Amino acid sequence: MTSSSRATGIGRHFEKGKKSLPGAGGGGCPAGGNDFQWCFSQVKGAIDEDVAEADIISTVEFNYSGDLLATGDKGGRVVIFQREQENKSRPHSRGEYNVYSTFQSHEPEFDYLKSLEIEEKINKIRWLPQQNAAHFLLSTNDKTIKLWKISERDKRAEGYNLKDEDGRLRDPFRITALRVPILKPMDLMVEASPRRIFANAHTYHINSISVNSDHETYLSADDLRINLWHLEITDRSFNIVDIKPANMEELTEVITAAEFHPHQCNVFVYSSSKGTIRLCDMRSSALCDRHSKFFEEPEDPSSRSFFSEIISSISDVKFSHSGRYMMSRDYLSVKVWDLNMESRPLETHQVHEYLRSKLCSLYENDCIFDKFECCWNGSDSAIMTGSYNNFFRMFDRDTRRDVTLEASRESSKPRASLKPRKVCTGGKRKKDEISVDSLDFNKKILHTAWHPADSVIAVAATNNLYIFQDKIN
Amino acid sequence: MEFKLEAHRIVSISLGKIYNSRVQRGGIKLHKNLLVSLVLRSARQVYLSDPCPGLYPWAGGFFFFPTGGPWRPPPQQQPGELAAGPPAGWGEPPRPPPTEPQSELSAVSEAPRVGDAVPAATVTGVGDVPQGGEADAAEAAWSRVEGPCQAAAGEAEGPAGGWAVFPLGSRAARRPCGCPLGGKDPPGTPAATPRSACCCAPRPAEDEPPAPPAVCPRKRGAAGVGGGPASCPAPSSTPLKKPRRNLEQPSSGGEDDDAEEMETGNVANLISIFGSSFSGLLRKSPGGGREEEEGGESGPEAAEPGQICCDKPVLRDMNPWSTAIVAF
Repeated sequence: MTSSSRATGIGRHFEKGKKSLPGAGGGGCPAGGNDFQWCFSQVKGAIDEDVAEADIISTVEFNYSGDLLATGDKGGRVVIFQREQENKSRPHSRGEYNVYSTFQSHEPEFDYLKSLEIEEKINKIRWLPQQNAAHFLLSTNDKTIKLWKISERDKRAEGYNLKDEDGRLRDPFRITALRVPILKPMDLMVEASPRRIFANAHTYHINSISVNSDHETYLSADDLRINLWHLEITDRSFNIVDIKPANMEELTEVITAAEFHPHQCNVFVYSSSKGTIRLCDMRSSALCDRHSKFFEEPEDPSSRSFFSEIISSISDVKFSHSGRYMMSRDYLSVKVWDLNMESRPLETHQVHEYLRSKLCSLYENDCIFDKFECCWNGSDSAIMTGSYNNFFRMFDRDTRRDVTLEASRESSKPRASLKPRKVCTGGKRKKDEISVDSLDFNKKILHTAWHPADSVIAVAATNNLYIFQDKIN
Repeated sequence: MEFKLEAHRIVSISLGKIYNSRVQRGGIKLHKNLLVSLVLRSARQVYLSDPCPGLYPWAGGFFFFPTGGPWRPPPQQQPGELAAGPPAGWGEPPRPPPTEPQSELSAVSEAPRVGDAVPAATVTGVGDVPQGGEADAAEAAWSRVEGPCQAAAGEAEGPAGGWAVFPLGSRAARRPCGCPLGGKDPPGTPAATPRSACCCAPRPAEDEPPAPPAVCPRKRGAAGVGGGPASCPAPSSTPLKKPRRNLEQPSSGGEDDDAEEMETGNVANLISIFGSSFSGLLRKSPGGGREEEEGGESGPEAAEPGQICCDKPVLRDMNPWSTAIVAF
């Protein structure tokens, strides 16, 4: 395995353990040291230039097994794709993702009390671990979280005594014999039904939900508060973090993301608009306003500008699968933190540093407020995040290499390899490079997801969902 | 000098964003507005600390300030200008600067905005009462956001001086600048371009007015688009106020007197706001805040025709900003 020869030091033992997963993403190539060769697999969504706002994808999430891929959009719809069964005799053959279920999760609402429209945009989807034949996921908009059950129906009962095949009741006097109804196969029908609706618990806009490792509770976070819910109980929740100041004049930061630890059910983190991350332990007190750990990197005073505060605001925070690390995304960089070291991040990866000189324009066109997400691969050896011009970036933590790829229709031929892209910042633009000023800031990749075990990634580019797979030699 | 211009531009853009956020679908986003207000503060600090005199060649009549420090109204000019400004500025419809169509357009575009985006907020604002703790806090939060608008508006005019180029004169001629808000941009153009940096700027002929008269309409612009009854409704600037004004008597000539008095009062209060810290910029409640700011204006405010028919204290304390706050 690649990591065995790398002197990455910290965490190697974790990664070794993880590498035992079949087809594990990070450095899983048998020919050690090979980089990924990402290839186009599929693209979902309409092709036309005119993109309806409702079709813009706002969240992407694989389930725990990676067989299901859920997307939410601004129109409040959820589309679930299911991976086709791979051919068992060819373990590296690619399974395609096809539409499994589509349903309207949230509708636009109007809060009459406050005279506010509540957008139906799905902010986050989180899957629950599968416990029976049905699949469950949580989806949330700004104010309401819903638990959806997605179940299959592929049989139906036939041969009822009291009713006809078309459902009409039979006249009891006509029944001369009794029979036992039998189950007959039918066309597969996938049904989505809302099982729980968790409403009215958030004054501000919900930005995160996270299922706990106990599989019984989950948290939801808005700008100023985090609530703890039990999946079975909808009429109440516990408030576990409240950073609303008594005097709103003194408000200096808001909560931007929150997540439960993947293994320790009492631990969660939340990030703030000031670039800090707080780790809280629910055992310490009922209200976790006092953090157990505080992660902040001191600001470099030489790079101060009008927009320093904005670009330090963390847009996403994700624990590694191992639970030893976490990753935070701010506007220009992604940082990997060791939970045992609060003073500074373990790694800092620049996503698009060439934008630092363009912050004023990005402020004007609102791009500086874009909230990019980030994700780990299954073995925690690589991380991925999006950028502009439909570019997305991957950082291999072992080899310390990074690559910029593009999700575009042009490179969408079946199994076509993605060519690494380069942004030219200096004067002379080489062939195939793209200059910073030619970047299309309307084409932004905010949401990406990595299959929990395999080398499959899903990248949301506005209204299209691209699926790429690694061509393993 | 460049820093000052840059800072000014950023202030204008920021105010535009705060204004636009009010009518965005889904309600006011606390995070984004907090970030914008932080930028506003930084820009303000740079603006104030830049020692360049407020000399702006593109302002018609140069308007000098001795220092870049706290704004002081040029002592003599005011009354003089008010009384007998250059003929161009008086009694004449303001020349159509590039920004004017913009303000017309945005006035028009604001109307539909009023109609769909935050209609209930405006309407309910009239008799609305904060819904309790949350609303108060939200209100306070949003008054915080609102504060910089007005203060920065004043600031923009004050120390900047040069861009306090306002047409004086008849009410008809007076246009709210509204420029720092960029609220005059049609919706969907959040990035207020330089033209919104100061719509007064490209009006060379209408020099002087001094900040005081400028403050008023701009403040009203700010208030009008974002604030309310306490401001003097200028005819084309505050379509948002139209619904309310329909309920009330249409504002009449009393406005002129109000304007002038308000201006002076405004200036003093804006200075005090301006000189204070960031949190001082942000008022606890729009009602309290506005009253403090316009401490010297209680007379004219009370005399505002807009106040007469409606519940005075409510209207004083409420304005579209705070209705949005309460709504939030």
